Amino acid sequence: MPEVLLETRELTSGYGKAVICSDVSLKVAAGEITCIIGPNGAGKSTLLKTIAGVLPPIDGQIEVAGRNVTGQSAAEVARSGMAYVPQEANVFRQMTTHENLAMGGWIDEQRTNAARDEVYEMFPDLVPLKHVRAGDLSGGQRQMVAFGMALMLSPRILLLDEPSAGLSPLMVGQMFDTVVRVNGQGVAILMVEQNAIQGLKISHRGIVMAGGQIAMEGAASDLLESKSVSELYLGSRT
Amino acid sequence: MSLQLLVNALVNAALIAPPAMAFSLLFGILRFPNFAIGAYITVGAFAAYSLNVSLGLPLVVASGGAMIITAVVVWLTHVVVFRPMQDQSPVTLLVVSIAAAFIIENVIRLFYSADVRGFNIPLERPWKFMDARITREQVEIIIFSGLIAVGLHFLLAHTRIGRAMRAVADNPMLAAIRGVNATWITAFTTALCGLLFGLTGVFAGLDLVIEPLVGWNLTIPIFAAAILGGIGSPYGAMVGAILVGLAEEATFLIIPSTYKVGVGFAIIAVLLLVRPQGLFGTLEIKK
Amino acid sequence: MSAYLISMGTYIGFFMILALALNLQWGITGMVNFGVAGFYALGAYASGLLTTKLGVPVGLAIPAACLVGMLVGGCVALLSMRLREDFLAIVTLGVGEVIRLIVLNEDRITEGPRGLRIEAQPFRDFVSAENYPLFYLFFVAVFVCLTFFVCERIRKSPMGRTLRAIREDDVVAGVLGKNVLRHRIQIFAVGTFFMGLAGALYAHYTQNISPEVFLPMVAMFIWMSVIVGGAGNNRGILIGAGAVMVFLEGTRFIGDFVDILDAEKMSALRIIMIGLLLIVTLRIRPRGLLPETKFQFKPN
Repeated sequence: MPEVLLETRELTSGYGKAVICSDVSLKVAAGEITCIIGPNGAGKSTLLKTIAGVLPPIDGQIEVAGRNVTGQSAAEVARSGMAYVPQEANVFRQMTTHENLAMGGWIDEQRTNAARDEVYEMFPDLVPLKHVRAGDLSGGQRQMVAFGMALMLSPRILLLDEPSAGLSPLMVGQMFDTVVRVNGQGVAILMVEQNAIQGLKISHRGIVMAGGQIAMEGAASDLLESKSVSELYLGSRT
Repeated sequence: MSLQLLVNALVNAALIAPPAMAFSLLFGILRFPNFAIGAYITVGAFAAYSLNVSLGLPLVVASGGAMIITAVVVWLTHVVVFRPMQDQSPVTLLVVSIAAAFIIENVIRLFYSADVRGFNIPLERPWKFMDARITREQVEIIIFSGLIAVGLHFLLAHTRIGRAMRAVADNPMLAAIRGVNATWITAFTTALCGLLFGLTGVFAGLDLVIEPLVGWNLTIPIFAAAILGGIGSPYGAMVGAILVGLAEEATFLIIPSTYKVGVGFAIIAVLLLVRPQGLFGTLEIKK
Repeated sequence: MSAYLISMGTYIGFFMILALALNLQWGITGMVNFGVAGFYALGAYASGLLTTKLGVPVGLAIPAACLVGMLVGGCVALLSMRLREDFLAIVTLGVGEVIRLIVLNEDRITEGPRGLRIEAQPFRDFVSAENYPLFYLFFVAVFVCLTFFVCERIRKSPMGRTLRAIREDDVVAGVLGKNVLRHRIQIFAVGTFFMGLAGALYAHYTQNISPEVFLPMVAMFIWMSVIVGGAGNNRGILIGAGAVMVFLEGTRFIGDFVDILDAEKMSALRIIMIGLLLIVTLRIRPRGLLPETKFQFKPN
């Protein structure tokens, strides 16, 4: 197995006394796409929020590239080479695309201009939208700004919370293409997807969550073919 | 409309524009209408008075000192009173801010009594052009107010910290995810707004009189300007200030000046009903 | 001394009615009203002016004052019902101030800052002068009980339960739609009805009303009563109103022991202490002395 970029050990978290996910141990290796699927309320988003430092863990450990980040704030985790794209409200609506990207590189101001050029190179569609307020962009364009913002610090791993949520079917395909493209640059990806089939199709590995715990994991292709997974979580369509 | 009326409106606008922008900035970051802003202005006026009249410092130096003192008071009030309660509802915080305003104003009353005071500056004959009069102090207020507007615009649009302030106001969670330290930004914003409230105190002392209620009487026009411009939008607040200034002066032609406070409220009420997002704002104030 | 206690008890009565009314609006329905002082003034001047200028008997003037309060409150609610709470606060504060300004400036009718003298008092001919204060205390107490009874009935009614559910969750309000909006306007109007009642009772008690009594400070005291007592809990409100009044009066006596402070400084010091009391209460008991019992759905 290549270098482990992200590892959680028996991670438990939730809101106040309500435990949403418990004893989650997972590993994400450099360069691979891992997709977390599962029914609503399985604790997928909560898990991602906890890893990103938005929600403090109740118990367990989180390591990014061998460094312990357990209990660090989101602002601190942002410096660890991991970037998180939340599901909703993932851009600054009052700011232009250009300014949003600048905020993505807030921590490392020296590199901002160079990093921004790289992002524009990767998403040429954003160039004509430089001075448009993010609130005025379409859903797909906004998602691109959100990705671009997260890439500003050249992270080695990207956390995506339901990147396809709220997009039209056509846009969903483009969005997944973008994910593959970003991965092609050597960025590992851990994403939560409601759109299980399409999510697993582009992934190397898959994790099925249920009731706040990992129910099953393995190669994404195996999960796609697994009978119990398709019956339980993928719907009748296979 | 006579020229004098326009001059008065402009002075009025210049007086309330900086605090309206500060109120808007504060609302963006803290998310509740802070009624203590009047008390902060009063602190600025009395601090400048003490430094100028009691200690005999020149007014320019006294003004700088008053701004710093006010900034410290605003920041301390935030840390001691508001920050520990930040999870409470906006209404609770609003009630708390009124209580804080009463405390600050009455501490001032305790030390200075309710007498009316003024700065130690030579009286000058107002300048006249056409048939309008304007004092030297009023011209200074207008110039400084304009400079502040330009400066704030530069800060918000073109500096790193200004962008971070807008980011926190826009989406605090995402700002944290991108590595912005909200505590630091909030401290900076409160202190910056404190400087503006302090300066407004000095202006109010120059243009009006220095008494414990000087800030409270300005609170409603300031709210009106900020809401008119669209709360959370500092540029809007500036335009709002000019419109409120004009409206207050213009209504004197129709109704007695004793209803001045009512004009501010009427503007707020009509606006909230007709265009709740204000002229330029986008923040939700409807349910 | 007993005369002092009777007078204090009567004032506690006015506070209780105002606080119960505000609890109906804020505590139970979640509607902010910072114009309490204005509606209090409205009731006082409506009843006072009706009896002095138009010669209306007290027995009619007091209910009329309640209706005036209800009508104006209903209009305010109708106009601004969809605003977020903190902005409704600014609007209602404005309404309160404008009412006070009208009273202050339209002195040809209201006598302005000189104060309006009111002769008429309820049941004046049936009670001797020396017993009248005690009688009036009971008279007010009866209205406190009535207000309390009505407020409890509303709180326990299906409508009250719906309103409390909405207070907790705005999304529900959107789903339930217009009906809820009507309920909210009704509750606000009932609240200002009782504020008008408190004002009228106050006017015929002191027999001399002037605008300076109705400063926004009064609204602050009533808000304190509700917050200290426990928003949503009518019993708590009664305790809160009593506690705030005792605290207000109690701080008066500090002046008797401390000579260095003149009246002006004393009054400043009292307001500082009141502000501190409010902030400290909110810090250590955010839900008040008698918190509202958790909302539960009980059929029948």
